[in-house]
Amino acid sequence: MSDAKIQVCHLSKQFDGKIILDDMNLKVMPGESHIVIGLSGTGKSVLLKCILGLLQADSGEVLVDGEEWCCLSESERLKRMRNIGMVFQGSALFDSLPVWENVAFVLRRQGMKKKEARDRAQEVLEKVGLPHACDKMPAELSGGMAKRVGLARAICHRPSIIFYDEPLSGLDPVMSDVITRLMRELHEEMQVTSLTIAHNMKLVRDFGDQVSMLYQGRIHLQTPASELDSQDDPIFRQFIEGRANGPLDTNNLTIKGSL
Amino acid sequence: MIAWFESIGIRVERVCLHVGIYPMLLLQVIQRLSRPPWFFSHILSQCEKVGVQSLPVVLLTAIFTGMVLALQSWVGFHRFGAESMVSTVVSLSMVRELGPVLVGLMVAGRVGASFAAELGTMRVSEQIDALWTLSTDPLRYLVIPRIIAATLMMPLLVVLADAIGIFGGYLVSVMLLDQNPQVYIERATLFLELQDLYSGLLKAFVFGGIIGLISCTEGFYCKGGAQGVGQATTRAVVLSAMSILIADYFLTIWIFQ
Repeated sequence: MSDAKIQVCHLSKQFDGKIILDDMNLKVMPGESHIVIGLSGTGKSVLLKCILGLLQADSGEVLVDGEEWCCLSESERLKRMRNIGMVFQGSALFDSLPVWENVAFVLRRQGMKKKEARDRAQEVLEKVGLPHACDKMPAELSGGMAKRVGLARAICHRPSIIFYDEPLSGLDPVMSDVITRLMRELHEEMQVTSLTIAHNMKLVRDFGDQVSMLYQGRIHLQTPASELDSQDDPIFRQFIEGRANGPLDTNNLTIKGSL
Repeated sequence: MIAWFESIGIRVERVCLHVGIYPMLLLQVIQRLSRPPWFFSHILSQCEKVGVQSLPVVLLTAIFTGMVLALQSWVGFHRFGAESMVSTVVSLSMVRELGPVLVGLMVAGRVGASFAAELGTMRVSEQIDALWTLSTDPLRYLVIPRIIAATLMMPLLVVLADAIGIFGGYLVSVMLLDQNPQVYIERATLFLELQDLYSGLLKAFVFGGIIGLISCTEGFYCKGGAQGVGQATTRAVVLSAMSILIADYFLTIWIFQ
């Protein structure tokens, strides 16, 4: 059995003959903040959804805590989900519920009393810097506030793994920095394992322990975040430097071939 | 030639895939019904949305249908002096046919559109995915309460619509056409059998299930952004209405055989 917290083995996924993930492998160690970078449309979010079981992979295995997830029944997987938190790109807050009920959703589902759940939600909202947001509706929140509520919802039930899907998309630089610091603080305080999908290189440097680059359906390169600048792979360098010219194939991101 | 067969095959596959999602979802719903959690509070709140909030539109439709029916049948019966049969026609038509079908069409328009739009928006904004990650089965949390509410509320709405439709006929017959109120009430119930009421209620129950299933399926499997939600909503209303009319024919054959 592997000692990795999350292990992706030979994962493949296609959509309408387009190869998105091609026999890819990835390991995330316990307590690690692992960031997957890559151009838009390379399949980073698909990878995350395959790991979470929101999309069914065509082949390959996903092991979480050494347990094969693809073989689990839906009800078994739902039980395991209590151990997981997920921050969505667009926050994905439930429009019909006030902020505190969004945050304490899992706790309420687990049978916690309303007052107790609300107090816990208030506590977590204070942690993410939103002490007065409890009774607001999601429609009343700004993008940055919604992101923080999404983060509060992901950590409220004290998961051991947190997934972030482009947590800084649509935020201004100041708010991006606020969220990045918050993620770092929470990561260290809760000692969770994180897997983050990101484009933002500042987030990668400030939050990542390990960085993997997804390119043409596979992990093209994996490196500790501290050694980002010492990598001399031309594709990797072009990406982290954000240059338009270089060997990165920007016209044919995921389609290596068609059936 | 091969390309022609191929294109036909692709179209057939697409149709099968689209049609197949309804029984697939129904099967998943049935499998889940036997085991908790059942989310009773959600079922109740959906019952309120489907039942109570649909009352104005359903009752308005029913009363005017009853009134028009009374007027139209009076014109026909007047030609051979059988005006007293107006109430019989109104009550039989409302209870056996017009009540369930018109309420079904109204509910399909109001509730079916709302189910599909709500679930579709939740799908495209990743709220349904979020439910999974919050260890909640979206079928149990979102779909089953809606299907149960539509199925249970339809017969209740139809009973009220039948009564109000017959009352509409009464208003026209008594106030406008000077019929004896006693005769209207007597004739309205004289030829009405319990089987007529049961058949109407059975139809309402089936139509409710159809509306719930089709609109929830369309919303739940919605793809794309705002355009996808719009298309899912349109399909939910059109398919529900068409299915109600088709099912009505087959149920009528089956019931009155």
